[in-house]
Amino acid sequence: MSLPELGTEAPVQARTPTALDLFMFSASSWLLHRIHYDAPFTIEHDGHPGLLIHGPLQGVYLVQTAESWLGESARLRSVSYRHLAPAYLGDTLECGGHVTAADDEGVEMELWARKPDGTVTTTGKARFER
Amino acid sequence: MGIITEEARKWADREYPPFEMHVSATDIAKFAHATGETNPIHFDRAVAQAAGYHDVVAPTLFTYVVRMHASALVPADQLEPDGSPSADVPPLPTKRAMAGETAVEVGERVVAGDVITVEKRLADMYEKEGRSGPLVFVDMEFTFTNQRGELVARETFTRIYR
Repeated sequence: MSLPELGTEAPVQARTPTALDLFMFSASSWLLHRIHYDAPFTIEHDGHPGLLIHGPLQGVYLVQTAESWLGESARLRSVSYRHLAPAYLGDTLECGGHVTAADDEGVEMELWARKPDGTVTTTGKARFER
Repeated sequence: MGIITEEARKWADREYPPFEMHVSATDIAKFAHATGETNPIHFDRAVAQAAGYHDVVAPTLFTYVVRMHASALVPADQLEPDGSPSADVPPLPTKRAMAGETAVEVGERVVAGDVITVEKRLADMYEKEGRSGPLVFVDMEFTFTNQRGELVARETFTRIYR
């Protein structure tokens, strides 16, 4: 399978994790931080308006956006991501990316998750190789 | 005047005992469903075997599950009030924590039945002034290997305390 060319964009995937999704992510990874499942604590202790969508879950969404587009043509070799704004339960995250470098072995991509109002919550870079 | 005390600073370059996770098909399926994976290679052994693996394959960022178990699979009295594992939290006057930057290099895939060892180190901590007061950044480093000694992943993760 051929790899996408420089500048090509992955289709945007909208993700709206539910309270159940947040709980499953915490439970499956044994992440016990209360800001992802205990709303009164999150609001009163941490001063957030609601439960937070995990940073690492957004990292997974970024990688999935690229992986589902690239299919079997390439495999993740490295990824880095950071969080620019909080994302809360109820938020929709539009996840997308584009190819920033392409060579014989693979592609590099910039990836992002943003709210419908344009606020970018997480941004990342990844390399995929054949 | 910083908020990282001498006592907290001693936590820099702190190494933790290695942790082993025996990865089951159940562990993989839980994480795959939690993240909305649809590829049957994560749930269906026959599909994974047809692709050349001896059992179901973990999603690429499954090493997150391994490192969280390494940190948080402790008796409840070894957790902070917010659920964070006490052994990861230096003595700081900050009360709240959030995720900073993550960087992962991916090596061999994780397959059900693997025993993954994670070596963990608190590499560094430093302070920056944020909009609402001082922020302390704590850099953690993780190296994951499988039962054959092959590199599965290297990860650096920064946790921010405010």
